[in-house]
Amino acid sequence: MKLFVSEGNPHCLKVLAALEVTGVHCGVQYISHEEKVVPFLSRPSFPALLLPSGQHLFSSNAICRYFFEVNGQESNDVSNQWLEWETIVLQPVLHQALHMAVVQGKGSEVSRVLQSPLNFLDQSLSKGSMPHLTGESVSVADVILWAALYPVLSDSSLALGEHKFVRAWFDHLAAMHSCQSAAQKVLQGKAMKNYMQKQSVPQSFQCRDTQPSNSSPA
Amino acid sequence: NMALRELASLEKYLGLRKPNKYSTQGDKKTPVLQNNAAPPLLGLVTIACHLVKEAKRPELLGDSAESRAVVQQWLEYRVTKVDNCSKEDIKIILKDLNLYLHDRVFLAGNRFTVADVLMYYGLHPLIVDLTVQEKEQFTNVSRWFDHIQHHPGVRHHLPPVAVLRNRIYTSRHH
Repeated sequence: MKLFVSEGNPHCLKVLAALEVTGVHCGVQYISHEEKVVPFLSRPSFPALLLPSGQHLFSSNAICRYFFEVNGQESNDVSNQWLEWETIVLQPVLHQALHMAVVQGKGSEVSRVLQSPLNFLDQSLSKGSMPHLTGESVSVADVILWAALYPVLSDSSLALGEHKFVRAWFDHLAAMHSCQSAAQKVLQGKAMKNYMQKQSVPQSFQCRDTQPSNSSPA
Repeated sequence: NMALRELASLEKYLGLRKPNKYSTQGDKKTPVLQNNAAPPLLGLVTIACHLVKEAKRPELLGDSAESRAVVQQWLEYRVTKVDNCSKEDIKIILKDLNLYLHDRVFLAGNRFTVADVLMYYGLHPLIVDLTVQEKEQFTNVSRWFDHIQHHPGVRHHLPPVAVLRNRIYTSRHH
C-alpha cells in the first residue's frame, strides 16, 4: 500500500492527517503535482492511494474513509452526511476563497465568501453536546473538515468572524500532535501558494458578472 | 426533481415496501429524507447508502474495506464530477471511465453495487445524447451501461438506451 501526495495541495493534508490519526501503516511518496499516478485518469490527481489489491483510490475523502475503516472505525449516516456536505457545499466555496486569499491577495474577501458554510458548521456544533462532529471521539468527518478548513482557519490574518464553536472545535483538533505533524509535512511555507497558482480559476469567478450572489446554506 | 426520482427508483429496486418521505433544500435542490425517529438526512449519496442499509443489503456498499472505499469514491465522483458537468468535461469523464472499465465488469470490480446504480442514473442523460460512433468509441462504458440498464429492477424511471453490442464500424478511419 502506498500513498502519493504532492506538496501544497490542501487535499493531501486530509489524507496525511487521517493516516497519522489512525496510525495505519502505509508508505508515503511525495511527487510533483504534474505527475500522473492513477493510470485511468487523464489529468493528474492528488492524493492517490495504491491499495493492496493494485487498485487506485483518487478521492481524498475515500482514502480517509479507508484508513479509518482499516482502523476499525466504519462511517455512519452522520459522518456520510458531513463528507457529502464537504464535497458538494464546502469545497467549491473554499476553492474560491483560497484562490482569492492565496493567488489574488484579497484576504479580506474570504470571510464574506465563507460566511454561509461556517455559519452552518457553527450551528451544527452548537447543537450537539459532544466535542466532535459525530460523537465523543475524533471521526473521519472531523479530520476531513479540519484539514479542508486548515488553510483558512489557521491563518490569523484572514480574521474570520465570530464562529466560536467552529473555533473551539478547530483549535482542539489543531492541538493534536498528529494534525500538526501532517500540516507541517504538506502545507509549509509557500508550498500552497505555488500549488494554487497552477490551479484552474474557480468557476464562480468566471460567471460572477452575470450571476451576482447565489450563495446558499446547506 | 431528478434526485428524488432516483431515490424512488432505488427504493423499488431494494424492495423497500414503505416509501420514505422526502423534500428538497436550497437552490441546489438537495434531497432530504424526513425521518420520524431521527434527524433528517441530507444528500443523495448519504440517503442512498442509508436506504441500502435499511433494506439490509450491505453487500451493495461493497464487501471489503477496499471495495467500500471504491464504492464511495464513485458515488462521490457521480455527484461532484458527473452532475452539472460541462461539454468538455463529458469527454474526459467518458474517456476515463472507459479506460477504468476496460478490465472490470462493475465499478467496484466483479460485484454489482449501489455505485453502479447511481452512476447509471447520472450518466443516462449523457449517454442518450451520444452518437453511434461515440458509443463505439467508449465501448467499455457502453457495455457497462447496457449491462446495468438490463440489471433486474434498476432502470425504472428511465427509458432504455439502444447500445450496439456488435461493432458496425470494424476499423477506425484515420
